[in-house]
Amino acid sequence: MADTICRTLRDGGLEGEHAPALTIKDSKASPFGFDVFNYVLTQLSNYILAGKSQSRGLVVVAYSRSPSFYVDLLKRRGIDIASSHDWIHILDCYTDPLGWKNWLIDKDISQEASSLSSFCQDVRNLDKLYSLIIEQGKGLIGQGKDRFSIAIDSVSEMVRHASISSVAGILSNLRSHDQVSSIFWLLHSDLHEIKFTSVLEYLSSMVASVEPFNQAAFGQRVDLENLSMLEQNFRKGKFHVRFKRRNGRVRVMVISMFLYFCGECADLLYRKSSYIYFTPLLV
Amino acid sequence: MATTKPRLSSFSRNLSAVSSSQTPGVKCGPNGTMFVSSGIADLDKILGGGFPLGSLVMVMEDAEAPHHMLLLRNFMSQGLVHGQPLLYASPSKDPRGFLGTLPSPASLKHDKSRDRESEQEKGLRIAWQYKKYMGENQPNFDSHRDNKQDYCNEFDLRKPLERHYFTRQRVNCVGIQDSKNLAALQEHCASFLAQHQRNDGSCALAGRIAIQSLCAPQCEHSNMDWEMLSFIKSLKGMVRSSNAVVVITFPPSLLSLSSTKRWQHMADTLLSVAAIPDEDKELAKLLSGYQDMVGLLNVHKVARLNTQVPFILEATTFSIKLQKRRFLVLECLNQAPVDGSSGSSYGTSGSCSGSSKAGTLDF
Repeated sequence: MADTICRTLRDGGLEGEHAPALTIKDSKASPFGFDVFNYVLTQLSNYILAGKSQSRGLVVVAYSRSPSFYVDLLKRRGIDIASSHDWIHILDCYTDPLGWKNWLIDKDISQEASSLSSFCQDVRNLDKLYSLIIEQGKGLIGQGKDRFSIAIDSVSEMVRHASISSVAGILSNLRSHDQVSSIFWLLHSDLHEIKFTSVLEYLSSMVASVEPFNQAAFGQRVDLENLSMLEQNFRKGKFHVRFKRRNGRVRVMVISMFLYFCGECADLLYRKSSYIYFTPLLV
Repeated sequence: MATTKPRLSSFSRNLSAVSSSQTPGVKCGPNGTMFVSSGIADLDKILGGGFPLGSLVMVMEDAEAPHHMLLLRNFMSQGLVHGQPLLYASPSKDPRGFLGTLPSPASLKHDKSRDRESEQEKGLRIAWQYKKYMGENQPNFDSHRDNKQDYCNEFDLRKPLERHYFTRQRVNCVGIQDSKNLAALQEHCASFLAQHQRNDGSCALAGRIAIQSLCAPQCEHSNMDWEMLSFIKSLKGMVRSSNAVVVITFPPSLLSLSSTKRWQHMADTLLSVAAIPDEDKELAKLLSGYQDMVGLLNVHKVARLNTQVPFILEATTFSIKLQKRRFLVLECLNQAPVDGSSGSSYGTSGSCSGSSKAGTLDF
């Protein structure tokens, strides 16, 4: 069922319509938004590689992870990196977003990653960022009527350097660009005022929120009684999706989500290799 | 100047539903007001004639559904069909492109066949002794339909409006995304309304202003609460003394609660649209006709100019349906039959207001 979101992004938008836009929203009660983002990213990449999607390329605007992370992620999921120059490009807003370094240390980024990425050294200028994204996207798909998709690592990071109206402006301009097939972004809702979250929900056509499995357990003192419930919140979550359908109705889906840690890496702060899978909610 | 309407039956009300012969698309209403059509026949009926000239109409959007666009499209198309000048402002990059999505009036042939069908269906339901009255109505109905300058046209949402409607007359499109504040939009509105000043009761030509998503987040003015409020206030003042109607749509979820309340107070006519959940079995059981509904329309306030008498509506919530996916209709919500033993049936759904409640207010 989470594949419904990926399929909607894969199918893209009709002629003259705005591109479908997905907001992935999480909070500290259930901090799995980034895992969901990676899941959607890999699914979309698979569709693009298999030629099943409307878009023929993907531009990743990376604010909170370096390009090497994404390269490793795709490699781990079995996606061929060697031939990736023609379908994926990563805009590096992570290494030096404000242009503080006069030179950039090449060994920060691996060889593979640097061939797939380019630097953005002024994230405060969103007009420039917009042109960079469009330029990179067009570079991937070439001339003609093809389209590309965009993934924005974290809109929460984007709004740290720019005003809400300029972030809303760039997102709506990207959505309404003829050659953008679909776009999705991540948001940590508790970092912002409700107004910003409402703005993003207004701008998107699908809102996927990650909620804790046991709502009541969060926020309470860690006692022996609720310890197991709290632990559960770090392995399971509820995935709540609202689709704005073309006929003007809203479709709501709630499914449960499991986070699986592989082997040694149990470090919750930096999950190097975690997998996420979805099952229907058994009430 | 005013021609009397032929009385159809002894039970008809003598409301002067007459189109002013000089000005197409404008009709006289009670208390010296003049109406223009909203482009949706059902909405005109609900509001007691249409949108009064000189009033400010506000539509509260639902962030999850684009139904306010349906209202705007019909409003703008109706104005263009009647040759009324139009000013359209929107936060999109290409506001002029929106004109290509405006609906065209349904073809006359289609209208006649549809009416005959619906008349025949009605004939089945009406008891036999009233059929003779229905027969009397028919000839008058047809002659009305022949008149191209109908007060309210029926729009086919699948057929785009012919280009000559907006190339030959004054249609001004303004983008509000890129300007730093609302001064430019205010200039445009002021100069537009200056051309439609009301002088001693005569009406040269009515004008229409449509502003879409005034507080859209991509506009820089969207976080200037007081500036937006001043703009609306000055616009309301300007439109009061002119022969024009202003329709503004806005998403209240993006404004603070106090701002929303202030904006609602500013409006003469206040409507809101709401999305409905898809494949909702509970709602399907509660409401009949759920399959055809695309959304809900709520009427919060109806403009009353030159009078202190309030307008009491029989119902305030209507369902928005697309007949044959082309024609917009508004219908009163009908609750599915409720089990009488469970007590008052009006308590079950907050959105339906029973007509018998209005009955207690009749005097």
